[in-house]
Amino acid sequence: MKSARDLRELFSYRELIVVLARREIRARYKYSLLGAGWAVALPVALMLLFSVVFARVASFDTGGVPYPVFAYIGLLPWQLHAGMLTGGARSLIDNRALVTKVYFAREVLPLSRALAALFDFGVAALVLAGLMAWYGIVPGPGAWLLPLVLLAQIAFGVGLAMLVAGANLLYRDVQYVLQVVVTVWMFASSVVYPLPREGWLGRLSYVNPITPFLDAYRCLLVGGRFDPGELAAATGISLFTLVAGWYWFRRVERCFGELA
Amino acid sequence: MSSPGVVFKDVWKRLPRRSEVSTLAELLYALPKRALQRRGEDGLLSHEFWALRNLSFELQPGETLGIVGPNGAGKSSILKLIFRIFRPDRGEVRARGRVTGLIELGAGFHPMLSGRDNVFINGSILGMRQREIRRKYDSIVEFAELAEFMDMPVKNYSSGMHARLAFAIAAHADPDVLLVDEVLAVGDASFQNRCYEWIENRRRQGCCIVIVTHQMQVVQSATRCLYLNEGNPVVLADPAPVIDRYLRDQAESMERTDAQPPASPGITQVQLLDERGHPVHETTAGAPVTVRVHWKFPQPVSGPVVTLDLLHDDPRFLISTPGGNLAQLSSGNALAGEVAQGSGSFDVRIDGLHLPVGMYSVRAAVKAHGAFTAAMRREDALRFEVRRPAGSESHALIELPQHWSIAAQVRQAAEPFDEP
Repeated sequence: MKSARDLRELFSYRELIVVLARREIRARYKYSLLGAGWAVALPVALMLLFSVVFARVASFDTGGVPYPVFAYIGLLPWQLHAGMLTGGARSLIDNRALVTKVYFAREVLPLSRALAALFDFGVAALVLAGLMAWYGIVPGPGAWLLPLVLLAQIAFGVGLAMLVAGANLLYRDVQYVLQVVVTVWMFASSVVYPLPREGWLGRLSYVNPITPFLDAYRCLLVGGRFDPGELAAATGISLFTLVAGWYWFRRVERCFGELA
Repeated sequence: MSSPGVVFKDVWKRLPRRSEVSTLAELLYALPKRALQRRGEDGLLSHEFWALRNLSFELQPGETLGIVGPNGAGKSSILKLIFRIFRPDRGEVRARGRVTGLIELGAGFHPMLSGRDNVFINGSILGMRQREIRRKYDSIVEFAELAEFMDMPVKNYSSGMHARLAFAIAAHADPDVLLVDEVLAVGDASFQNRCYEWIENRRRQGCCIVIVTHQMQVVQSATRCLYLNEGNPVVLADPAPVIDRYLRDQAESMERTDAQPPASPGITQVQLLDERGHPVHETTAGAPVTVRVHWKFPQPVSGPVVTLDLLHDDPRFLISTPGGNLAQLSSGNALAGEVAQGSGSFDVRIDGLHLPVGMYSVRAAVKAHGAFTAAMRREDALRFEVRRPAGSESHALIELPQHWSIAAQVRQAAEPFDEP
């Protein structure tokens, strides 16, 4: 019953989540040169970079999909994931003044970061539409299922952010560890190349939900390989992470105010 | 009888003395120690202390509780417990309705965003709905008197404007419980008066108010007063007796410090003497006093320059000067020909101590003539209180010695106006 009360409390702060996300987006876009372009700059730059590099060095079997499209569909959700994770992890420490001075449901902070990351995702997705139009690719009817995959991915990202945010407030070096983890994680997933499915690397996709999510996005948008078993495992892990992350967050949240 | 607005029931709160472990690396080392550590008989780990011990009280709607006590007594912990930033380790804390704190005005202001944006963000943090803020927006701007500045980024605001906007937002949150922690030490006097007026208004409408302050005149207007010392509730009663007890304890603790033998060479003691040469810890504004500085120099100091900085307990008096002092007594060149060695004392006679009323501390320093850095320094060498002279009706900050006479006057018979 306690968790029902916690949920109700969190729901009463729903406006604050939106307000804080908007604060972040505004502050970022109002005072930077590119404005909304920032959300697009990083995935586009990475997409161009990898297109040039992999055209020279190696070629992958992308199942007939032009490499820039293949890479961008990987980079887009990956940026969302990395943004929710690193942004959410920093959310408490960046708002230390608030956490130690004012009471509100603390989940608001990582959630508002996730919402801001989602906004960036939306802006960057417009480029994908342009890119697919350029190559003359029309998504199949399965594209209607994309929001479901997105929901599962968000559950995973938010859960992880909640797991990490508290630790990041308590121990300052967590964020450095996190940077390494995020970088390695990107290349251990099928972000800019298809992962080989033989041997231990193939089994990795059962414990790393990101690869099945990316496969699902690609399959629904441009076609490609897809393993329902992997996606089921990924969704299960995501939901578990969300529940565990929230439970953990609630447990450590009591001592946040004492860290002033 | 209506239900209480704030309830503390046998509340204990434990806090760490300092954050013992702040990195993962330190945590790895600390884990085995933590696993072995047991709480002592007092219920504490070695790095913890009781910030509050067994505190109980109830506040009815419309009551104001003033909290006094020396620094570190646990005053702010009470506010944080009501605000749910802290959770009690034992006992129970309940607050009814919307709790708003004037604890850190403007926490959560984003410096890059405009005043208008920040009204909506800050209001939302304080628990207001966006619709509610839109409805109250004009009134907030009017209260803050910042109509022309709402589109300016908050980073360009002065500290006074910052405080005004923050207070105006908090004032419109319609709290049922209001927590005030010394914040009103910013802003000009007329704005402060408006704040206190508003707080009083809120109270009459049935809001519970909890105020932490060192300004006794603020506490005096409370309906009840709590005196805390090292986490222990000492007394909870009407303000007048509690304030008396608190001031008496403070004076006693000052005398205890006097009795301690001088620990190190330098300035060993600073005393305030009244007209008859008796050491005192309180004096009235304008009274003649002598400040006696006892010294002990093992090495000779030639042409000693003694400087005494007078610091007022109210930080408002200190922030504007580079040295942070309200007044300074300096021997300058007066002792230029002297050489001080061994031990002795200097006297500074002051014909009239025309200082604002309040608590003072004295910082003493000695340097050799021509030297840049002080040879000896002593913080908090003396503490004393300046009181308003008995029978004084003035509410001015300072009363100056004055003699009035008529300098010139032209006598003229009153002429009736000519009717047209």
